[in-house]
Amino acid sequence: MNAATPPPTESPILSTKSLSVVAKERRILERISLDFPPHSLTAVVGPSGCGKTTFVRTLNRMTELTPGLRVQGSVEYLGQNIYDPKVNPVLVRRRIGMVFQRPTVFPMSVFENAAFGLRLLHEPEDEIDRAVTESLERAGLWDEVKTDLDRAALSLSGGQQQRLCIARALAVRPRVLLMDEPTSALDPAATQRVESTMERLKQDIVIVLVTHNVGQAARVSDRVAFLHTGKLIEVGPTADILERPKEPLTEQFITGRFG
Amino acid sequence: MAGAVLGSSAVASSENIFYDHSARTRFRVGFDRWIGRLLPLLFAVALFPIIDLVYFITVRAAPVLSLGNLTNTQPYANLSGDAVGIAIVGTFYVMVIATGFAVLLGIFGGIATAEFLSERAAGWVRMSANMLAGTPSVVVGYFGYFAFVIYFGWGYSLIAGSLTLAFFMTPYTFRTADLAFSSIPRGIREAALGSGARAYQYIVKVATPIAFPQILTGIFLAMAIGVGETAPIVLTTHTSLLLPNSLTSGVWFLTYTIYTGYNQPPGSNGLAQAFQAAFLIMVVVIALNIVVRIVAARYQKRLEGLYQ
Repeated sequence: MNAATPPPTESPILSTKSLSVVAKERRILERISLDFPPHSLTAVVGPSGCGKTTFVRTLNRMTELTPGLRVQGSVEYLGQNIYDPKVNPVLVRRRIGMVFQRPTVFPMSVFENAAFGLRLLHEPEDEIDRAVTESLERAGLWDEVKTDLDRAALSLSGGQQQRLCIARALAVRPRVLLMDEPTSALDPAATQRVESTMERLKQDIVIVLVTHNVGQAARVSDRVAFLHTGKLIEVGPTADILERPKEPLTEQFITGRFG
Repeated sequence: MAGAVLGSSAVASSENIFYDHSARTRFRVGFDRWIGRLLPLLFAVALFPIIDLVYFITVRAAPVLSLGNLTNTQPYANLSGDAVGIAIVGTFYVMVIATGFAVLLGIFGGIATAEFLSERAAGWVRMSANMLAGTPSVVVGYFGYFAFVIYFGWGYSLIAGSLTLAFFMTPYTFRTADLAFSSIPRGIREAALGSGARAYQYIVKVATPIAFPQILTGIFLAMAIGVGETAPIVLTTHTSLLLPNSLTSGVWFLTYTIYTGYNQPPGSNGLAQAFQAAFLIMVVVIALNIVVRIVAARYQKRLEGLYQ
């Protein structure tokens, strides 16, 4: 309805405050404080095992689906701590959507996949029709599937499936979309389409993109946050971080010396 | 020739360097060839008892089998007449109740184990189910006798027999349901919960449709196993010459007909009933297995590409 309405101020939509994640015998994330302002696409980069996936999963409380992880500190969505004990994580996940590494379409029709979140909210049928169309358009998939919305989602190509997953996440009109290496299982052409989808989406919503691909961060992001061994090393505008990093670790990473 | 590159090599240039004439290799190749011919033969040997069984029962059941016998549910004096209608209807009642309970227990148990219990608790539940599946049916029957017939005071009855049989069938419905739910890709579960589905919404809307063919397979398998059981029924019901008219009446189960009739003299009603019952059970078990395959194949097509 009014997903594109920007908030009056530039105060962050989402921010983490001294966020730590502790597994049984080690700390996965170490006191990370990071703001995500409106209309921004922040790329979280870092070498394998630096905790970037864990970080993005804490942002909509997906971490608690993995037994044995403990979250300390807070994540605030429009000023509200989503880790408040009274908060229902289900409602958090309806505001903060997520797209995963591998396409995870359900074995249903294209339409039903896109309508999944709306059906959970018991939206009226005509509203669902409208929102499905809109989200498929926003995800850049509409032209490819509009003639046959009843076809099985599993019969789509990998790139189409991933864009369908984006549409599914967008259909409930989240303010924030978390993307965990959304193109790592896709070929270059499909990657390109997903990236242009991201660039369009960041006009309206906050995107947090986890990627191990510095080139992708350079192409689509406004800001880059560099994580290393669970610590936030550096964050700033994409051009600054990729061209004039302040920290030697960041420079080593983006010049390909490790990761 | 390329062999010239080696210059002083002792290998004759006509000899391909990839040829291998060692005794070991020749043995392996030969072994491969012969084992490939032997295995179908062994398969035929394994198949022989089944074919023999089907033949044995069919030729003995055929002369006495008639629609009149199968549908005749008139009360009959013990083993007088060839009719088995009472046993068929009795078996049907028992199977409906037992399957109902086994499906409820098995599916809810399977969902709980796969989705809600901790790894540790789930391990214990799975082990218990495996132990129950391995428990001799006569022990399960004895348990049913003490629990339902004696302790609950239901006496030898339809309900005691059905519940005992349900306990015997539950491990099969449970194991397939548990496996079906726990083998759903992790990503699918996370995607559903990440879209804001509550746990039960994920189970009802996403997981159950995916798990359905396997669950159905388990139900049919449990039915095929249950319909051929004798001990849990014999120990917990008394036979009835009438159709059961309440949960506490006696009931006649098909395998009981075999149990009492198989040692009767040739030409006797008991033997005729036994072979009809055996034939029926055989047909039902084969039919269940065929239905399982058709249904599973049909639903599996829908899931192609899900488990990449």
